[in-house]
Amino acid sequence: MTPNPAPITEDDLHAYVDRLLSPARAAEVETWLSQRPDKAAEIALWQRQNEALTALFPPVTPELIPDRLKPRQLAARPRGVTLNWQQMAVAAVVILAIGTGAGWTLRELDHPPESDGLIAAAVTAHALYVKENRHAVEVAATDRDHLVSWLSNRVARPITPPDLAPEGFDLVGGRLLPAAYDEEENGPAAQLMYQNAANDRVTVYITAAIPNEKNAYEFSSRENLDAFYWSNDRITCTVVGSLPDAEMKAVAKKIYTQLTWRPDGTDSAKS
Amino acid sequence: MDFLDEIEASVPALRRYARALTRNADRADDLVQDCLERAIRKRGLFRPTGPVQGWLFRILVNLWRNSLRSERRRGEHVGYDTLLVEPSIPAPQHGRLALGEMNRALERLPDDQRETLLLVVLEGVSYEEAAAILGIPIGTVMSRLSRARAALRTLTGSGDEPKLRSVK
Repeated sequence: MTPNPAPITEDDLHAYVDRLLSPARAAEVETWLSQRPDKAAEIALWQRQNEALTALFPPVTPELIPDRLKPRQLAARPRGVTLNWQQMAVAAVVILAIGTGAGWTLRELDHPPESDGLIAAAVTAHALYVKENRHAVEVAATDRDHLVSWLSNRVARPITPPDLAPEGFDLVGGRLLPAAYDEEENGPAAQLMYQNAANDRVTVYITAAIPNEKNAYEFSSRENLDAFYWSNDRITCTVVGSLPDAEMKAVAKKIYTQLTWRPDGTDSAKS
Repeated sequence: MDFLDEIEASVPALRRYARALTRNADRADDLVQDCLERAIRKRGLFRPTGPVQGWLFRILVNLWRNSLRSERRRGEHVGYDTLLVEPSIPAPQHGRLALGEMNRALERLPDDQRETLLLVVLEGVSYEEAAAILGIPIGTVMSRLSRARAALRTLTGSGDEPKLRSVK
């Protein structure tokens, strides 16, 4: 053993109990504990807590997996057939979120991922405004130049509305909304709305990037709405809609491609 | 290894964690099923980077948080205890914690501490992995562990050591 091992920290003690230390470091911790009976008693208790938790929730036998949890069967099944407990719960979240407005944040949690709040806000805003006829947008697509410069200025990122004409969607217009990253930090968000000949509407909710957030992707389904979220070093973007799966994917992919390939705001509307 | 095989290999671990979080076997399987369905659907559009298992845990945790949140907002409580399969509880031996007592103590932990402690203890993930799965800084993982262990000590009345008894 080294004569002067690194000081034993609280983190070392946890890692010792959780068996995450190298054998050499674990031995140093044991030596340290042998001289501190008070601390050793506490650590022994932590170990008994771990044993009790492991006994309460033993490993699950791989052989006894029910069919509904077999990925191959799930992948082969048509989607949207069942509504399980979880999905109903998520639907309830959305209904409540709509009731409390777009500034809805996740206050009960210690530190929820920022993307949670943004996706929830995007879904709420979608549900709220796609129902509108005359007031669906603040600035209509007929005033496109103004729309682009206004939203780009407020969000402080160049926002060029993606061209979804090949997918059958035309830009209706856009509006400015609050974006709640978390409890402390708020910012503006731009919502763009698109519509196809069948009056299906898709919204794109864009905010400036979350500080220190790396590229992220997230899919979530709330009530009957699908939300595709991604972020990069410049923006976060949530596409919300209730299109058939393949169409939703095509639209989301197209938006993603255009917004990420041309983040400098150059015109991407060439086809 | 195929993507679906990778997911399948993670199912037992996901179920174990889900059972500990939900404390209800059926509800746990609902949670895991939802997690798997999302992973399979999401895969069509975005390919996850890094190990599949961590990504699955991240989805599961987010689903669980969503469901807790919606319950709170509805003011409803699902009967945790009523449906939980009672583990066979051996009489507490000297130097061991009674499982029933631990079960009740765990239920009283704040959600954030419980999800963190269970992930580390049951799944044996490193603190870095736990931080990535839970979407929190590693310092927060450590402080939650610390608070969880201290709270469990109080809640289980593990002041068997004479020095602790005097605190009461």
